[in-house]
Amino acid sequence: MKPVTFLLREQWSGILLAVVLGIVALSIANPTFNTEFNWFVLLRSICVVALAAFSQMIMLGVGQMNLSVGALGGLVAILVGGLMDAWGVPAIPAASIAVLVGGGAGLLNGWLTVRTGINGFVVTLATASAFTGINLGLTRAVPFYHLPADFVAFGNGRIGAFPLLMIVPIIVTALLAIFLNRTVKGRHLLAVGGNSNAAELSGISVSRTIMLAHCLSGLIAAIAGVLAVAQLGSAQPTIGSDWLIISFAAPIIGGASLSGGSVSITGTVVAVVLIGLIQNAMVLLAVDPYWVTFLLGSLILAAVWINRIRTVRMERAQ
Amino acid sequence: MSLALQSITKSFPGVRALNDASLTLVGGEIHALMGENGAGKSTLIKIITGVHRADSGTLKLEDRDLVFSSPRDAIAAGIAVVHQERNLIPHFSVAENILLERLPTRNGLVDFARAHSETRQHLAKVGLNIDPATEVRRLSVAQMQMVEIAKALSHRASVLLLDEPTASLTEAEAETLFRLVRQLREAGTAILFVSHKLEEVLSLCDRVTVLRDGETTLMAAPVVGMTRGNLIEAMIGRSERPVVPRKRGPQLDQPRLQTQALTTSYGHKAVDFTLHRGEILGLYGLVGAGRTELARALLGQGKIRSGQVLVDGAAVRVRSVRDAIKRLRIGYVSEDRKYEGVILDHPIRSNIAITVWDSIARTLGLLTRNDEIALAAPLAVRLEIRAPNLEQRVGNLSGGNQQKVSLAKWLAADVDILIIDEPTVGIDIKAKSYIHELINELADRGMAILLISSDMPEMVAMADRILVMHEFALIDEFVNDRRYETASTRIMDAIHSVTAGSVG
Amino acid sequence: MTTQVQSSSGASISITGLLTRGSTQFGLLIILSVLWTVFASLSPGFLSTFNLNSLGRSVAVDVVVGFAQMVVLATGGMNLSVGAIGVCSVMLAGYFLQVLGLPIPLAIAGTLAFGGVLGWLNGIAITKTGVNSFVVTLATASLFSGGMLILSHGVPLNGLPSEIGAFGKATVGPVPALAVVALAIGGLLYILFAHSVLGRQILSVGANSRAAEMSGIPVSRVIVFVHVLSGVLAAAAALMLTARLGAAMPAVAGDDWLLPSFLAPVIGGTSLAGGAASVIGTILGALLVSTIRSGLLILQFASFWLQFFLGVFLLAAILLQRYRSVLSAREQTRQA
Repeated sequence: MKPVTFLLREQWSGILLAVVLGIVALSIANPTFNTEFNWFVLLRSICVVALAAFSQMIMLGVGQMNLSVGALGGLVAILVGGLMDAWGVPAIPAASIAVLVGGGAGLLNGWLTVRTGINGFVVTLATASAFTGINLGLTRAVPFYHLPADFVAFGNGRIGAFPLLMIVPIIVTALLAIFLNRTVKGRHLLAVGGNSNAAELSGISVSRTIMLAHCLSGLIAAIAGVLAVAQLGSAQPTIGSDWLIISFAAPIIGGASLSGGSVSITGTVVAVVLIGLIQNAMVLLAVDPYWVTFLLGSLILAAVWINRIRTVRMERAQ
Repeated sequence: MSLALQSITKSFPGVRALNDASLTLVGGEIHALMGENGAGKSTLIKIITGVHRADSGTLKLEDRDLVFSSPRDAIAAGIAVVHQERNLIPHFSVAENILLERLPTRNGLVDFARAHSETRQHLAKVGLNIDPATEVRRLSVAQMQMVEIAKALSHRASVLLLDEPTASLTEAEAETLFRLVRQLREAGTAILFVSHKLEEVLSLCDRVTVLRDGETTLMAAPVVGMTRGNLIEAMIGRSERPVVPRKRGPQLDQPRLQTQALTTSYGHKAVDFTLHRGEILGLYGLVGAGRTELARALLGQGKIRSGQVLVDGAAVRVRSVRDAIKRLRIGYVSEDRKYEGVILDHPIRSNIAITVWDSIARTLGLLTRNDEIALAAPLAVRLEIRAPNLEQRVGNLSGGNQQKVSLAKWLAADVDILIIDEPTVGIDIKAKSYIHELINELADRGMAILLISSDMPEMVAMADRILVMHEFALIDEFVNDRRYETASTRIMDAIHSVTAGSVG
Repeated sequence: MTTQVQSSSGASISITGLLTRGSTQFGLLIILSVLWTVFASLSPGFLSTFNLNSLGRSVAVDVVVGFAQMVVLATGGMNLSVGAIGVCSVMLAGYFLQVLGLPIPLAIAGTLAFGGVLGWLNGIAITKTGVNSFVVTLATASLFSGGMLILSHGVPLNGLPSEIGAFGKATVGPVPALAVVALAIGGLLYILFAHSVLGRQILSVGANSRAAEMSGIPVSRVIVFVHVLSGVLAAAAALMLTARLGAAMPAVAGDDWLLPSFLAPVIGGTSLAGGAASVIGTILGALLVSTIRSGLLILQFASFWLQFFLGVFLLAAILLQRYRSVLSAREQTRQA
């Protein structure tokens, strides 16, 4: 297939175009855009967002949703902060423990959804409340400030414009791509999302697959939480409170099918870049930050509408 | 090798699907399973394939008592199935669908090259020449079915279940399938062939088991020497029904509904017919012929590309189903009784009154339960709907009574033209006769009825004239003499002459 | 072959029996009575006039927020922009009353109409594009709140006419005026769902939209209507909140409404799948949530743990619902 046809076929080509155009426009509009420091800020800001988006993307892939992405990430954030600040645990063990707790929380979500047969929407709505509650209960709204120097350095470090922090999402992206495209468990996950009945009849355990998806979602949200702490330099109890809509926006704009079973890692990444670009532009152009919220909503609507037209056209062609 | 189910009982909320049913499959035999819709065939298959567990009874494979707690257990025991509905993952390739639960790996990662080459072999066996990497959602319905058949065969199972496998296949494709099935029989596989097509069963199968109302009425009877009549009697409890007499004939001087050169977005080509006042016009066709789609087009769903629809001689443009019902007074008794004909969770009274809520409302759109009951009660009595009261949830009624509720709402709407789509599928014999008598009575009173059915005896008994549809076109039209031999032969000839020589 | 289902007769008359076999609303009533007895015995301040009035006012708002979600749930959809419409309505009301100085009835009518317009936009977007309500309202939530915040910067307005705050504090006999308003709205909704054509149309669209369409119900129109109604109810809740606070504070609505908007109807027996709606259940559900909140506060439970308990409690309530429906299905199967 020629490169042009390939691009036109992919859902995210439009968004990529928007990103390219956006970069060009911003460079012209504001000379500080193209500085090393600004690129560093931009790239660093999308690290956490990318992971929050992946956390939700996996759920969309299996045909479910996880409303506790932000709450879980926030809980892990204060956990890692608390471990390092109040208990003096060094960075790497603290991060590992916190991430594992995140995976456990995800597993809880999965277990509740599967075992009780209650809609995942309601289950994760409830656990989101519980996680936020634990967050508030443990911190009493006071952040943890005293973090180990090496941890903070990692969050601030960079090589030119490339933030050290970005190593993590790059690794996660690669692993996720291999998992969803090339491993049996990953293919089974998408199969369950595509047609859970067919998957069950073929002998795949739908319940175990959903639990696995929740667990992975929790793990990735947890990693996002840890990164957020590194980025901010302190464990704020408000971390994760604004992740929910972005966690849906990026995969959907990136072309994920709402019925499940079809997600695009590339699309999600491009969408995350676009969102980061918009946020960066808001700051540079001193525009009201509420415009981001507004634009986000518009983008989601545009994305699903285009997707819908595409589906209808394909059905008609058959 | 043998698979024996003994005294299987299975109940669901409100209904007993299987009542002491039995079935024995033997290797090297093609065993037919027959029965009307609702007789229990699907439930039995779901028990064999591990989707459901029987409430009581035994399942023995080679004399070993087995209990399946999931489809995985059944697959592991060597049982493969091709279900009636498609069970494919739309965004996945053909190869991934066929090898879904046993994707080949190399170094822990999926080996797509090997998956594709293995798949090519499986596809070759069923004569399907497509790229294994093709996304399944881009295939035609028939191709999808062949992919599923390839998938079932690829398991090299000792027991193979085929549930209405030729539903979407052309004659040539069906022949390929039969050849394969015979090969498997020679190889010793036990094959269960579920079909409602009597001719297929008589020509292909060695033995037949028949279910009726959840019970086994014919157990592993040899097919040799059996007639259509024997099978029908086992399925419905009496031989083909006698002709139901009409009191008045159709009023051929008063056309109610006409189409002229109708071409639709569904694929209909230049459909022409006229339905008169007091007439029962039969529309016969096999599954997939386009009859239900024609009904939908007449109701305002789907686009009309060219041609005209005329009601009472005037050309009309149907804007929506609501428009068809309220303005043009056309009603449609859906073929999907359970999920389109009625609202299972709601009570009888509101299911009957739904078409006329706005007419029976008081000021400000207010409406009470009693208003609905006042409307529904006489109809329930007239149609002899069996239920303790009108508050009963329709989902708890028998199939026959559900269909009566579905019909009642059109009587409530006082429509002039009624399209009835497969009215007696899966309904007990008494309710069936009742519904046929009701349809006759409605026609006698002047209603124009388009009767869509793939039940030949029903068609011949009821219709004044018969239209034959095949692949979205009308291929024959004749006056029904109500003699089964002549009418059914004419219909089958029409279909065969169109399909003869077609390449798969 | 089919049998009719009898409600269980002869089952033991015990609290657990009533909880698991009675109607959802009845079970809720039992739980509520138990909780009130427990809280009252642990702390006499629970039943004080002050506490009851405060409870009544916050429940009133929560109930109407729950109604806003309930009407959409009845069609099998959901409205994630309830909070956003609330924020917009609060700001608009404040603007009408303080900046424009409009007479109060006009301001109220204008705000309600605005809520309806926003709801209408939701409904149109959903029916014209065919995209499901979750995604559309997720997007419009951002759109509405973002848009409104751009215009107003979320600045709270404190200079509202004093009648507003007075109404918020007023009582009709022993009952807070706001609670009366909530009950009146509930009464109207009850009439809608139980005794009107539109209500029946809404429930049939939720139960089976295909069957409804094929019976002549104008499905798209019905969906647009419930979203308009949802918007109006969200705006009404916003007005009530403003009265209760005595000022227009947009920050209090918004995301804070998402969980309660689902909690009340779902606990009260309105199914996420659509086809059923319980006004009484929503009222009881909101009452339950507020009771727990108020009880824990009175008992001086560390307020930071409140949120946690609410989440756990929601889970428990849903688990109970689920258990009950499984039990009922099992019994229907046994009798077949």
